Amino acid sequence: MGREGVLDIVDVTKRYGLVTALDRLTLRVEPGEIVGLVGHNGAGKTTLVEIISGLVRPDSGTVLITGHPPKQARGLVGIAPQNLALYPSITVHEHLELYGRLAGLRRRALSAAIDDLALGLGLTEILDRSTGVLSGGQQRRTQAAAALLNRPPVLVLDEPTAGADLSTRQAMLDLIKQRAGEGAAVLYTTHYLPELTDLDASIAVIRQGSVVARGNYDELVGGLPGEVVLHYEDGSARRVTTHDPASELITMLSASERPVTGVDVNHATLDDLYQALAVGHVA
Amino acid sequence: MLHDVAPTHRIRRSRLNTVRESLHRVLAISHHNVRLRLRDPGQAISYLVLPMILMVVLKPLYIRAVPGGSTQVVIGLVVMFSVLAVGIAGSSILVERQWHTWDRLRQTRAGSAEILLGKVAPIYLLMLLQQTILLTFGCVVIGMPWPDSPVLVAVAILVWSFALLAIGAALATIARSLSELGAISDVGAMVLSSLAGALVPLSILPGWVEVAAHASPGYYALEMLRAAVAGDTRQVLGNAAVLIAVGLAAGGYAIHRLARGWGRTRLL
Repeated sequence: MGREGVLDIVDVTKRYGLVTALDRLTLRVEPGEIVGLVGHNGAGKTTLVEIISGLVRPDSGTVLITGHPPKQARGLVGIAPQNLALYPSITVHEHLELYGRLAGLRRRALSAAIDDLALGLGLTEILDRSTGVLSGGQQRRTQAAAALLNRPPVLVLDEPTAGADLSTRQAMLDLIKQRAGEGAAVLYTTHYLPELTDLDASIAVIRQGSVVARGNYDELVGGLPGEVVLHYEDGSARRVTTHDPASELITMLSASERPVTGVDVNHATLDDLYQALAVGHVA
Repeated sequence: MLHDVAPTHRIRRSRLNTVRESLHRVLAISHHNVRLRLRDPGQAISYLVLPMILMVVLKPLYIRAVPGGSTQVVIGLVVMFSVLAVGIAGSSILVERQWHTWDRLRQTRAGSAEILLGKVAPIYLLMLLQQTILLTFGCVVIGMPWPDSPVLVAVAILVWSFALLAIGAALATIARSLSELGAISDVGAMVLSSLAGALVPLSILPGWVEVAAHASPGYYALEMLRAAVAGDTRQVLGNAAVLIAVGLAAGGYAIHRLARGWGRTRLL
């Protein structure tokens, strides 16, 4: 038997009536590793997050966090749930203070952790504002900050960048990478594959409650073709599917006989990956 | 000998630390809930000011209608508006579900009992404060006699607030929205307090109401508070026992629902 990961999920099954949300799902996350859990809505991602956080009990299988079952390991997991869970009349600082105190942080350590995260996630200016008046991105950052406060060994982040603007997204990804660099095991769910290249994450594709593919970005997505689109003055467009969008773009631009008004380079999407998995192009 | 004593000390210290940590979490949640209440004090203020106004307005009517009218008007309105305050307890728990914050708290180190305790402690204090202020107002302004035994009155307030809090928590786990909770608690409060004789004295109501009154917790609260003001320990303890039983049943149901994630799919 191999060594244990920080987060070990083995053969976990969860059913809600006739619906099987998780079907013998197995996944391991090692210290310092970021695993991107990708899958469509209803694939089972949120159920898995709820089981890891101890909110829901699996019907069978085991989940161990640094060797402990979820209920005993609550302080060891930093969770940013998919649903925003904030008190509208309470300020960002007061939120962080509450979750920091519940995580066992006291006075100076708590104050330092809040300042540190506020700086890292660009929350310093809005610390004294009620979360009810913040933008969606600011609310997401507040929620993520609460999960990161006590530097837990496991981070479970359920679509933390949903609805976030570019700068928010980048700040969050940088911080997550930093925490992984310090040894945290990160499980990161997303619909947006390019984020996983930024995070240098390995990918686990979940479909109908099971992990159907596991590998790094190059193995799973790198071989899939992208699309280059040139837009012309008359409103028409030319689309080319290619494995090398950069070279293809240069070729298309130099060969174009009409003025080009716009260019789109579309990378492979989750749908492309699903399709490739279905026809067996990806192992 | 030293070899035997050291582990015992360590275990004791570790237990002490566990209790201290737990207390710290309860205090953190309580402190947070005090903040929440202070940011939205409207309902609590209205349940304090309205009965004061009604006491002043209805006093002459009660004095003419029944002997001991000033006591009846004060205690009747204290019971009625404390029953209405069940809505405050219920809504403060229900909004946690709507904001998804209850589950978020359950994902922290805090256990279900710690979360519930931290949540209800400030509301309990609020209820104690409401009843204490109204009874004091009744003595000072309305002319209700000062109680012979303040301790008995304190016991009565503590027990009644406990029962109300438990009923409010149980209602919060049943209701699927704030308006549903509002309807249940407002209509329920008016029916239960009217039936208990809080609004109109039972002595001038039809005979069947007096029989039906025994089904209302408000009846026992009214009797208990009246006995507390009169210094009748036996009556206070008898009615307190009924209300503690009601509180334990409702509280037990609420804890059972809350600890199990409380049917998270049933919100409107």
